[in-house]
Amino acid sequence: MNQQTNQRLEALLERVQKPARYVGGEMNAVVKEWQAGVIPFAFCFPDSYEVAMSHLGMKIIYDVVNRQPDMLCERVMMPWVDMLAGMKAENIPLFSLENRKPLSSFAAVGFTLQYEMSYTNILHMLDMGGIAVKNEERDEGAPIVLAGGPCACNPEPLHPFIDAFLMGDGEESVVEVLRAIAKGREKGLSRVDILRELAAIPGTYVPRFYEASYHEDGTLKDFQPTDKAASLPIIKRVVLDLDEAAYPEDIPVPFTEIVHDRIVLEVMRGCTRGCRFCQAGMLYRPVRERSAERLFKLAQKLVDATGYEEMSLSSLSTGDYTQLNELVRGLNERFADQRVSLSLPSLRIDGHLQEALTDTAKVKKSGLTFAPEAGTQRLRDVINKGVTEEDLLRTATEAFSQGYSQIKLYFMMGLPTETDEDLLGIADLARKVAGCYYAIPKGQRARGLKIVVSCAVFVPKPFTPFQWAAQDTMEEVRRKQKLLREALNIKNLTFNWHDSELSFLEACFARGDRRMADVLYEAYLRGCMLDGWTEHFKLDAWLAAFEAAGVDPAFYANRLRGKDELFPWELLDIGVTKAFLWRENERAHEAQTTPDCREYCLGCGLTRFEGACAK
Amino acid sequence: MKMLFVFEKSRALRFIGHLDLQRTMQRALRRSGLPASYSQGFNPHIILSFAAPLSVGIPGEREIAEIPLALPVSPADFMHRMEKALPKGLVAVEAIPLPDDAPAAMARVFAAQYAFSKREGEEGGFDALVAALPAFLARESIPYIRKTKSGERPDDLRPGIFNLLVKNGELVATLALNQQLTAKPDQLLISLAQTAGIPVPGCDIRRLQLLDDHFAPLEKP
Repeated sequence: MNQQTNQRLEALLERVQKPARYVGGEMNAVVKEWQAGVIPFAFCFPDSYEVAMSHLGMKIIYDVVNRQPDMLCERVMMPWVDMLAGMKAENIPLFSLENRKPLSSFAAVGFTLQYEMSYTNILHMLDMGGIAVKNEERDEGAPIVLAGGPCACNPEPLHPFIDAFLMGDGEESVVEVLRAIAKGREKGLSRVDILRELAAIPGTYVPRFYEASYHEDGTLKDFQPTDKAASLPIIKRVVLDLDEAAYPEDIPVPFTEIVHDRIVLEVMRGCTRGCRFCQAGMLYRPVRERSAERLFKLAQKLVDATGYEEMSLSSLSTGDYTQLNELVRGLNERFADQRVSLSLPSLRIDGHLQEALTDTAKVKKSGLTFAPEAGTQRLRDVINKGVTEEDLLRTATEAFSQGYSQIKLYFMMGLPTETDEDLLGIADLARKVAGCYYAIPKGQRARGLKIVVSCAVFVPKPFTPFQWAAQDTMEEVRRKQKLLREALNIKNLTFNWHDSELSFLEACFARGDRRMADVLYEAYLRGCMLDGWTEHFKLDAWLAAFEAAGVDPAFYANRLRGKDELFPWELLDIGVTKAFLWRENERAHEAQTTPDCREYCLGCGLTRFEGACAK
Repeated sequence: MKMLFVFEKSRALRFIGHLDLQRTMQRALRRSGLPASYSQGFNPHIILSFAAPLSVGIPGEREIAEIPLALPVSPADFMHRMEKALPKGLVAVEAIPLPDDAPAAMARVFAAQYAFSKREGEEGGFDALVAALPAFLARESIPYIRKTKSGERPDDLRPGIFNLLVKNGELVATLALNQQLTAKPDQLLISLAQTAGIPVPGCDIRRLQLLDDHFAPLEKP
């Protein structure tokens, strides 16, 4: 950024809300010098600073790339609306926090795809960063635009905007991809030849080298490579040994408060429970644990380097971590003197938590969160959430007698086969949880019972047994929400529900094909951005975008798919096979549960990955 | 004992608000390994107090925090540890040990000294301010509308201006900063521009130091 632009930026910062979001300079931020032989990479998070800085994946990639002597990684986030307007008016390009470099000056920029509703932000960020929004319109020297993260598992709605997608665990491939880009530039390769080099790297999908055709009914007919460099399927990259894998030993400590302002210890990746709605549970297989030994060392380094007063354990199912008791006890022992408190989010309620809970209570009592997901046993069996009412009530009673008084319960509505009776079961369950609290004599329980029931709208996702399912229409969702609102009028209970419109759109993108890219582009042209923030979400503009693109949203969201339909995301092999998913789908409709595969192998397909599966 | 800690909040960090600065300093103390004192209660936090909060957007050259310590620490050791523990934009300047019962810095602040420097492209406006100084200081009262949390009320800026002069091409002002009387640097700029009959020019403000009621630096009574 030149001096004049920088001056305009400094002046603008005086006029915007929360300018601390845009200035960087945090403890442990890595500011490397730009010099020949060092590849500059911009990690782009398409949401606000507060959300971005709470994301573990960014910290891992930031660390991995910055550890390379021939690379540097800088952070770029979506500016808030006031800053965005100011930057446009003052002609200030989107810039990185570390060295204030315009996005266009990086060799490569990489977006993480955490949530479908951040897609419009990506287009705005490219445009504001001085990079052509469509990949075909980019100059030879323009940065290579990469993307990865969970939503990359269905990349097609972003195919005209991203040059290359990195599938699977990013820390496994990002350095390889960046080095290939640097080499290509050194050799003076053309842009398309560099992309050919990338396409040859396992786990990399370069959409311009493929072509899709469609049946008359709109479903996908065929999908084939059009270039010798491209192959099918793309096989996701997997970090096999988490102890060997890179993990940050220091992380930037924001000045300003962020969403999750603490040290995050990733204890495990993957989950074998096999909940049928859960995409992460399929995407992140196989299960890989990080040893307690390694975690103790990491925790000590992170505490010393950050000064954080709180630490949380993270994974899809921390209750299943085999060394949980040892880990919790060890962390408490080590850090009690340093006054670091430990929180355990996303605990499944069927783990052996008694000891862990007791230990946690010693340091700090934070809220408890449970996710029964459905209100009746029948529906929990359908979704294979192996949790019984008895489990929940027993754990709630234990927690209340340990001194907890706040409990959060997460549910979904619109699950396949759901009836009103299932919904009313949510209220029933909430009442029983309150009953557990009142059953404990007054002197022995903490005061101030607070139950929060959150009910999301079910969004069928690729690579799940429900990938064939239809989402409820918005009208039906609203009817169900009303029903539940009335049923949950209970003392000391707060009911939160998700926006039906947002969930509808999320469903369109989650299982969208290449034609959804036209909708995205039209929405971007109509000024849609920050759609994940209810106050900025404009349904009318989105509906106009669908119309302009000639696309029917119901085709994506509300249509029940046939068994043999070819899906756009089948270009990717995540390990789990379609045959397994269909089997699970059929069992769901018979309300048959499937046990955790650690008991015996269910043939999900992961064993095809060498060394991936313990059994 | 407690340590009176003088630090610089650099221009790069001028947008970090007071609460954020407090949290940053607490985390720096945790990283430093110094024997800080913790509050009692459910969520114990490190005890420290700042002599005077700094407005967002204004850097400070000699800001002051008071940090009670559970064990004696030498100033040199304190400085050494804090230098390593602070983020780049916060600079350790001086550490002065005080007995626990020394009067609180917060209670001793009486005034603060600010510098206003001209910005590129806004030289004309700045020079007009300088030219208006004699007329401005000759005024017996400088009425303005003071915005507070509870609303707006008329106030007089003049009694809060203890000193205002030009030094090395900058305007340097000593302004009241105590419970009875406070004059804010941004208001000074607005009122001065009014006297000069010009729109408020762009101007970089920084706080030079905090003073006691003898107009001596707070850290050197």
